[in-house]
Amino acid sequence: MNNFNPLIHSFPYLLRGAGMTVLMATTSVVPATILGVLLALLQVFGNRALRTAVIAYVFLIRGVPLLVLLTFAYYLLPLTGVDLPPFWGVVLVITFYYAAFMSEVFRAGILSLPQAQWDAARSLGMTRPLLLQIVILPQALRLAAPPYVSLCVSLVKATSLVSIVGLWELTMASREVVERTLAPFQVFIGAGAIYFCICYTLALYGRHLERRVIHGH
Amino acid sequence: MTQRPMLEISSISKSFGAVQVLHDVSLSVAPGEVVVVIGPSGSGKTTLLRCINLLEDYERGAIAVDGEPIGYRLQGNERVRMSERDIAAARATVGMVFQSFNLFPHMTVLQNIVAAPVRVKGVPRVRAEARAHELLGTVGLSDKAAEYPVRLSGGQQQRVAIARALAMDPKLMLFDEVTSALDPELVGEVLAAMRQLAQGGMTMVVVTHEMSFARDIADRIVFIDGGVIVEQGKPDEILFTPRTERVRAFLKRYNDRYRI
Repeated sequence: MNNFNPLIHSFPYLLRGAGMTVLMATTSVVPATILGVLLALLQVFGNRALRTAVIAYVFLIRGVPLLVLLTFAYYLLPLTGVDLPPFWGVVLVITFYYAAFMSEVFRAGILSLPQAQWDAARSLGMTRPLLLQIVILPQALRLAAPPYVSLCVSLVKATSLVSIVGLWELTMASREVVERTLAPFQVFIGAGAIYFCICYTLALYGRHLERRVIHGH
Repeated sequence: MTQRPMLEISSISKSFGAVQVLHDVSLSVAPGEVVVVIGPSGSGKTTLLRCINLLEDYERGAIAVDGEPIGYRLQGNERVRMSERDIAAARATVGMVFQSFNLFPHMTVLQNIVAAPVRVKGVPRVRAEARAHELLGTVGLSDKAAEYPVRLSGGQQQRVAIARALAMDPKLMLFDEVTSALDPELVGEVLAAMRQLAQGGMTMVVVTHEMSFARDIADRIVFIDGGVIVEQGKPDEILFTPRTERVRAFLKRYNDRYRI
């Protein structure tokens, strides 16, 4: 237990795994954010059919664990004849999964703005797309920033699940090292520390952004 | 020949659910005229003002600003709602100042003022900014262009809101209880800006509880109660020799409350 040599020796390998984790997370978070904003707008402004469709989607996704979705996609995608590399298949699932949660965060941001802001923008002759662009969304996204950053942190950690469907990243790399070294405690303490560093950095950056956009201007 | 009115409200009615708040209200405002609307809380004053630029929809009647319909066109006997784009364009000709200022908190004072002229009317930014500085000068806030609204007092915010509305060069200005949310010592500076505007010939419809200001600034006072215009006339007629019992009762309550 006291011997941390296995961790020290395998640390570069774990860091390579962490690189893959970061790559997977950043590749997913951008489209998830865009889709999340889009779904939020559809839910607030869409016609009844679109609203219902988005609400159904959000409820469905929120009700099913990510691991189940990943496994489902793992078996389903080959059947559909879509020849997608596993990395992109996983990115797709994580994107659609987190977009549902993000859309709720953005929707809350939009709805929490006082009616007075809409009135003021309308009274100045702004059309809906313009008032969304320059009055509503900039404020709504700021309000949504803290829960949004939490979701991004959660997304980073969720990438650890993809090792189940055979994709190599930090958790998978850790398991391989454990199999070779039989030192699970040391190795997973190391893996946990790496995850913590990634997420803590992200959270700090989120705080920094928040301070800048809300207070610092 | 009579002049074409700047604002023509023809028999509008408006309900919130089962509650009818405006009953067949008609009002005509001449260019350059200042009309002050008074009445008890819940009488429909603010709703009437919000119908003029269609922040509230109304069920019957029509409204025109400088001869142009706003909100609905008549096609034969059919009332047809204008497109959102046309409604937005019509709103751009009417300035409105709100009780709670409603500045955009994420923009500086200057950005608040130039946003609509630049993005709605396509005024070149340099010209819009020059005009904004000029307007800030007239409301006495030349040094506040770079501030964010949160750093201004209520009175200053309200004067920025007036400048923001004026930056669109509106044909008509609507003021909705613009001093009600202000500390008493800040009311004067906002009223002064409005007085200056009225003297400059702006057509204005003002909802207010400031009776002495109403008397001072108004060409005509309109008293609304229960969603109907009960009485209208010259300020001194309404305030000192009202014809109806309802106006007398309202003014008595008002005087009792504000007598020192």
